[in-house]
Amino acid sequence: MSTARHLRAVSSGDRAVADGASSTSSGLDPSESSPLAHAAHSVDLAPLLLQTGQGSTSAYEQLYNEIAGSVFGVALRVVRDSHMAQDVAQEALVEVWRHAARYRADAGSARSWILTIAQRRAVDRVRSEQAHTNRILNHAPRDQVVPADQDEVVNTMFAQWQGARVRAGLAALTERQREALELTYFKGYTHYEVALALNVPLGTAKARVRDGLIKLRDAWEADA
Amino acid sequence: MKDNVHSLLGPYVVNAVTPAERDAFRDHMVACEDCRDEVASLTEVTATLADAQAVTPPRSLRDSVMAEAAQTAQLLPLDDGLDATATGTTHAVTETTETTETTTVSAPVTDISVGSTRHVRGSHRFGRRGALAGIAAASVLLMAAAGIGLSVHNSRQEQLVAEQELMMVTTAPDAHSMDLDLGAAHLVMSDRMNGLVAMGHEAPMPDKGMEYQLWLVMDDGKSMPGPTFMPEEDGEFVAIMHTSFDGVTGFAVTQEPTGGSQEPTSNPVSEVQL
Repeated sequence: MSTARHLRAVSSGDRAVADGASSTSSGLDPSESSPLAHAAHSVDLAPLLLQTGQGSTSAYEQLYNEIAGSVFGVALRVVRDSHMAQDVAQEALVEVWRHAARYRADAGSARSWILTIAQRRAVDRVRSEQAHTNRILNHAPRDQVVPADQDEVVNTMFAQWQGARVRAGLAALTERQREALELTYFKGYTHYEVALALNVPLGTAKARVRDGLIKLRDAWEADA
Repeated sequence: MKDNVHSLLGPYVVNAVTPAERDAFRDHMVACEDCRDEVASLTEVTATLADAQAVTPPRSLRDSVMAEAAQTAQLLPLDDGLDATATGTTHAVTETTETTETTTVSAPVTDISVGSTRHVRGSHRFGRRGALAGIAAASVLLMAAAGIGLSVHNSRQEQLVAEQELMMVTTAPDAHSMDLDLGAAHLVMSDRMNGLVAMGHEAPMPDKGMEYQLWLVMDDGKSMPGPTFMPEEDGEFVAIMHTSFDGVTGFAVTQEPTGGSQEPTSNPVSEVQL
């Protein structure tokens, strides 16, 4: 985390950018350490999403406060450009507004429904922006751009909490599983591209993604 | 074959699938409660990964989101839901719940034909000069005896994906090329990429009301349907198929009525033995 960003975080008090966000520039690296100063659980967003689906703009604003940090964060992590991430986050959040009435609880939590939309939008963007070969040959991280005009109302407290959980969970993965998740979830590779980039059979690439997710779930369920 | 669809679960959860695979997997989930539950459960895992990335966005994001939402009509719940209620956003909807959930498994053949008529433009990105100037690509995921094809969209996203699929297969380390007697054409298969590409030029136009269709010839003598395709005016064509090659002994191309068939209805115009 840069000095400037740190100062901004400090000056914004309770709404400080959580340290977990620093992983946006360094990837799925479990060795990355970050003190867990605050533990903030995420709230159930289903009621807000439900009301949003009934046209409530105030519910939508509250939903925004709870989720925009994660939506923007995952977009930024994937597209690695602040302007593009804002664009992607806007697309995703408007899609949430538009589709809110079609959310179904049996498909998972409201939070995960929204974040799936965000990640998919981001991944679609990098797939169309970058030539496929470039992505495979060159996936060096770009510097994260910190927006100058931060929205203090947006809740990002859980990033720190989740960051710590994520690091703990990732430590349970094999390096190969971690790599498969990094390439797919954060870099937008299809499983075909993972197979090609890692020079493994397609079935192996697909299995690593799934096994990695299962292992993370198990690790987190154990400490829940 | 069913295992193939199941194996997409992990990639599906992290959006690491092609649009055709996404459609196929969603179709599969309609009938498979286990997969539905597992997807819901693993999606929570990805949400945690996303939450850990949270960053305070700029204030301007809120303003522009609220402004756009205010001008965007909301979709009705799916039960009464037709996309016609959506009038607002002009964003290219790359993939939305309503389009895929209404995809039916009951008419796979029709789906194939729709998929096959997608025209992939800008193929120069392949770095393969004019030979692929205008190509029609079809991507078909083989599920049981039925091919599950693509949705109607011919978005730029899908074109790009089709181009990528083509490149993945043709540049795979184990890519294997075979001559195909249909103008000047060949088949490229990659076991590793689970993909088969038919491409060429100078292909004669099929009879009126007919299309070409690609088939997998199985070791039990049966034929598994692949995508249909039509040559461009200059005889160029490309068709892409996702499939495992277990039990496949060869490939065939027939002429079939527009929309394709479940079983060949005519003698092959071209056959290739593996």
